[in-house]
Amino acid sequence: MSSTPNWLERSLYPLLVLTTAGMVGALWLIFLHAPEEKVMGAVQKLFYFHVPAAIMTYAAVAVLLIGSIAYLWTRDVRWDNLSIAATECGLFFCGMVLITGPIWGRPAWGVWWTWEARLTTTLVLWILLAAAILVRSYADNRELGARLASVLGILAAIDIYIIRKAVEWFRGMHPTVFKPGAERDVDPAIGQAFGATSLVFILLFLLLLAVTYREAQLRDRAERLTQALGR
Amino acid sequence: MKNYWFLFWGYAVFWIGLAGFLWMLIRRQNQTRRRLDRMERELDQRRDGSS
Repeated sequence: MSSTPNWLERSLYPLLVLTTAGMVGALWLIFLHAPEEKVMGAVQKLFYFHVPAAIMTYAAVAVLLIGSIAYLWTRDVRWDNLSIAATECGLFFCGMVLITGPIWGRPAWGVWWTWEARLTTTLVLWILLAAAILVRSYADNRELGARLASVLGILAAIDIYIIRKAVEWFRGMHPTVFKPGAERDVDPAIGQAFGATSLVFILLFLLLLAVTYREAQLRDRAERLTQALGR
Repeated sequence: MKNYWFLFWGYAVFWIGLAGFLWMLIRRQNQTRRRLDRMERELDQRRDGSS
């Protein structure tokens, strides 16, 4: 019922090669092509990893939302395996956002951390994703763990909406990077470096999602074999 | 304002985090594969024994 699809196995190595080559190109654009920002200086270059990591957190939670709703609807473990993969990827990217943010914030704002709305709701998201992994580990059976984790996945998606709106609703100090309809007056090289890094992060997300999904499918097969052996 | 150390640590943390995540995934996957192989062998032996 849940063996790894062939196309997924076949796509892993090309994806790995493409991501690695893309990362080298993106780093070249960040450090040798894009200019240093005048006010913040060198530390602004953290933007090229911090923002795409945040976007990939959103992407992971979107996949998690689909997996969670589909699992609750169908009770098909393949959807739960997709949720497991998205949760682990989301936890990784969200963790990177929460670590690179303060490293950038310290020289830019003068503090490592502030209980500002967007930062706090992002920390809440990380806790929700970590909780989804923990409930799976500690639940009495797979079905109960999957159900509870699916509910947490839906809560994580609601939290994403609050994160997006936090700056607007609570007037926090976190800058809004993309305002719809706003005029942008930035060096084209900055846009090129950001665009390339975002593409590479999409590839990295797909690669990590594929690897974690394959692993979840393998564990599922191991569980079924354990039952077949009567252990 | 140069802040090269913050830049260095920001990127270093990302690469260390990514390497750690990948290492964890590979290690866990190898463990699961070994467990699967062991159980498949055991299942085959049981089938051979019963036929």
